[in-house]
Amino acid sequence: MQGATVLRVNLSTGQIRKEAVPEQMIKTFIGGRGVGSKLLMDNMDPKIDAFDPRNPLIFATGPVTGTYAPTGGRYMVITKSPLTGAIACSNSGGYWGPALRYAGYEYLMVEGKAKEPSYIYIHDDKVEIRSAKHLWGKIVDDTENMIREETHPEVRVALIGQGGENLARTACVMNDKGRAAGRSGVGAVMGSKNLKAVAVRGTKGFKIANPDAFTAAVLKGRDKLKAGPTTSGLTMLGTAGTVSYMNMVGMLPTNNFQAGVFAGAAAVDGTVVKKDFMTRNRGCHSCMIHCGRVTKVTGHGQFDGRGEGPEYETIYGVGTICGVDNLAAVIKANYLCNEYGLDTLEAGIAIGTAIELAEKGYIPESDIGFKLKFGDADAMVKLLEAQAFRKGPIGHWLAEGGFRLAEHYGHPELFMGSKKQGFAAYDPRGSIGMGLAYATSNRGACHLRGYTISLEHFGNPIKLDPFTPKDKPYWLTILQNTTSFVDASGICLFSTFDMNPGEDVTAMVSESLGYNVGGPEDMLKIGERIWTLERMFNNAAGLTRADDSLPPRITSEPLTEGASKGHVVDLEPMLNEYYQLRGWDMQGRPTSDKLRELGLA
Amino acid sequence: MKQIVVYQEKCTACRECEVSCSFSHEGAFVPALSRIKVADFYEEQFYQPMVCVHCADAPCAAVCPTVAIQRQADGQIKVIDDRCIGCKMCLLACPFGVMGFSPDKGVAHNCDFCDGDPQCVQFCTPGALEFKDVVSAAAPAKQKAAAALGLPQT
Ligand code: SF4
Ligand code: SF4
Ligand code: SF4
Repeated sequence: MQGATVLRVNLSTGQIRKEAVPEQMIKTFIGGRGVGSKLLMDNMDPKIDAFDPRNPLIFATGPVTGTYAPTGGRYMVITKSPLTGAIACSNSGGYWGPALRYAGYEYLMVEGKAKEPSYIYIHDDKVEIRSAKHLWGKIVDDTENMIREETHPEVRVALIGQGGENLARTACVMNDKGRAAGRSGVGAVMGSKNLKAVAVRGTKGFKIANPDAFTAAVLKGRDKLKAGPTTSGLTMLGTAGTVSYMNMVGMLPTNNFQAGVFAGAAAVDGTVVKKDFMTRNRGCHSCMIHCGRVTKVTGHGQFDGRGEGPEYETIYGVGTICGVDNLAAVIKANYLCNEYGLDTLEAGIAIGTAIELAEKGYIPESDIGFKLKFGDADAMVKLLEAQAFRKGPIGHWLAEGGFRLAEHYGHPELFMGSKKQGFAAYDPRGSIGMGLAYATSNRGACHLRGYTISLEHFGNPIKLDPFTPKDKPYWLTILQNTTSFVDASGICLFSTFDMNPGEDVTAMVSESLGYNVGGPEDMLKIGERIWTLERMFNNAAGLTRADDSLPPRITSEPLTEGASKGHVVDLEPMLNEYYQLRGWDMQGRPTSDKLRELGLA
Repeated sequence: MKQIVVYQEKCTACRECEVSCSFSHEGAFVPALSRIKVADFYEEQFYQPMVCVHCADAPCAAVCPTVAIQRQADGQIKVIDDRCIGCKMCLLACPFGVMGFSPDKGVAHNCDFCDGDPQCVQFCTPGALEFKDVVSAAAPAKQKAAAALGLPQT
C-alpha cells in the first residue's frame, strides 16, 4: 500500500521533521480531510484558543490530489477555527496541493509561531524557513510575484494577504492568486503564526499503486463528466448561473435575509458575468469543468480591474446580502478579497450584518463615518478595505466577523449564521433541509457539507419537497458522509454531480492507494467516521447542542414574498431525528456504542 | 506532417496535458518532466501551451555535439537516448524552451507524439490541443480571412 509523509515545521524552534503517516491511519481515514482531522486531534487540545501557537495549521492532500483524476487537485487547510471555535477544514483547488505532493509530502503541519514574519520554502527535500519581513503588508499578487522572483519561476504559493496578517477572522488562505481555502478564518491562524506564505517547488513527482486500473477508473469518470449536464452548465456559467433560479424559488438571500427575492437579481446573474465581464475560463489542476471565471471590468471607474470571479456565493456575499445589484462592484469586491485574502462570503456577510444594524440604528454613525444603507456599492467596497486593515471601530468589528460584530452592538440575533459562521447563499426557509445542514455542519454554516438543495430543488439523486422536514435528516446524513469521503480523496466536490462518488471516486482512491476502500456502503462508513471525528473535536472544544442552532429569523419569521413565502424552519424536531440517526445522544454526543462501531473509541 | 496544434484561446491552464504527458512517459505524475508546458500569464489572462514544433531547421539538432538529435522519416525531431551525453545545449538552443531534461536518465527529451496517440490531446477537454497537419490546418484560416474581406452575407 502507498504510504504518505507529513512534513512538520515548527516555527518556534525552527525544527523540521519528516514523518511517515501510519498505514492504519490511512486505511481508517484515507487522506485529506480525514487524515488531516486525525492529525489535528492527535496533536492539540481542542480547548486551546485558535490563535495559540499550539494550534497546528495542517495542509492536507488526498490520494488522488496531483494525479490526472478529473478535478483531482484539491488540498485542505485544517486547524481550529478562530471564527467558530470548531474544527476548520477549508478546501481549495489550483496547483498548490499537487505541488506539495510532487515535492514528496502529502501533509504539511505547521506548529508554533515565528518570531518575525516568515515564509516556508519547500524545494523537494530541501525545506527552509525564510524571512518574510519584506513581504509583510503586501497584497497577495505582489507577494506571490516577489516570492517567485526570489525562488523559482515555477514555484506554487499558498499565502495570506493583509486580512490574515491583521488576524481578521474572515481571512482565507489564498493560493495560485485566484484560489482560496476560504472559510472559517484559516488565514488568520496563518497570520497568528507570523507565516506569510508556503512556497513549494515539487519536481520529484509520485507514483501510484496500480497505474492501469487507476487509468481505467479515471477514463470512466471522465466519460461521465463529458456527458454530464452539471459539468457543462458549470463550464458555461460557473456557479453564478444559480442566481436567477434561487431568486425564482424565493431563497436568494437579500438585505441580510430580510427577503428571499432580490429586485436586482437579473443584473447580477451568471449570464451577465459571462456576457459583460468574462474573458475566458480557468481550470484548477486536472479539471474538466473549468468553472473559474476570468474577468475584466472596464469603463466602470473605481470598479475597474482584472482578476477572477465571481462565483455564486460571492455574488451573494458581497452582493445580494448587502443589497448590491451593481455587478461591476461585486466583481471589484471579489478582486479586493483575493488581494487582501478575505473570504468573499464571510467578509460580505459581516458587512451585510453591519448594514442591517446600522439601518436599525444599533451602530452609531460615528463608528462608521457615514450613513450606511443596503444597496450602497461604494460603501460595501470601502468596508472591505476597512475590514482587512481593521480601520476604525467598524473595520475592527467587521474583521471580528458578523457574529461578534452583532453581539458587540447588542443584537447577536441579527447575525445570519450558525456556530458564528455565516450562511451560504441559500435561505433555508426555501429549502428546509439546508436549515438542518447549516445547523449541524461541523465547521459552522456551510453548503458544502450537505447540499440538500440538490434533492429539494434539482431532484438529484431523488426529488424531495423543499418545505417539509420529511426525510431530510436521513438524506443529510448520507450527504454529509459522502462529502466527508470526497474531501478525504482530494477530488473536487463539483465532479460528484455527474460522477458517482461511491463507485468512481472509491475506485480512483483504491487504485491510487493500492488498498481497496470498497464500494458505496464502505464509502458512507468512512465518511461517517470522519464526520464523527470532527464532532468529537467540537464536543471536546466545548460546543454543545446549543451550537447546532439557527437564528430566530429563520425559525420564526416567515418570508413575506416570493415562492418561499410563509415558510420557516422548525429545527428542533429535525435535530432530534438527526441525532438519533447519527447514533448520538440528545445533547449531540456520539454514544460509546457508536464510537466503538466506527473504531473511534 | 502532423504536429500538436495549439489553440491558446481555448486553454484554461488546467495542466491536464502536463500530468497526462508525464504519466504516460515516466509512469509517474511529474509535470516537471512533461514535454508540454503551459506558460501562464495570470495577470494578462493569457495561457499558452508550449510544445515542440519539430522545426524544419531545428536549432536543437544543429547545436548537439554528438548528433543525438535527428530527424525521423516522418519529419519528427527525435533525441536518440544512447547518443545523448546530457550536455543540455539543446535546452538553451531551442527558441521555445520546450526541450526538456530528465535528471534520472541523464538525457534530453522533446515531444514524441506518444507514438501517434498524443496523450495531451486526449486529455485536453476544452479542445485547446489538436494533432494534425499544420499545412492543411491553416487552410480554413485562408477561407475565413477571405470571407471577411467581402463574402456577401446571405
Ligand atoms: S489540457 Fe488543454 S486546456 Fe488544459 S492546460 Fe493543457 S492545453 Fe490548456
Ligand atoms: S526542441 Fe525546440 S528547437 Fe528542437 S525541434 Fe523542438 S521546437 Fe525546434
Ligand atoms: S504528444 Fe505526447 S509527448 Fe508530445 S506533449 Fe503531448 S503527451 Fe507529451
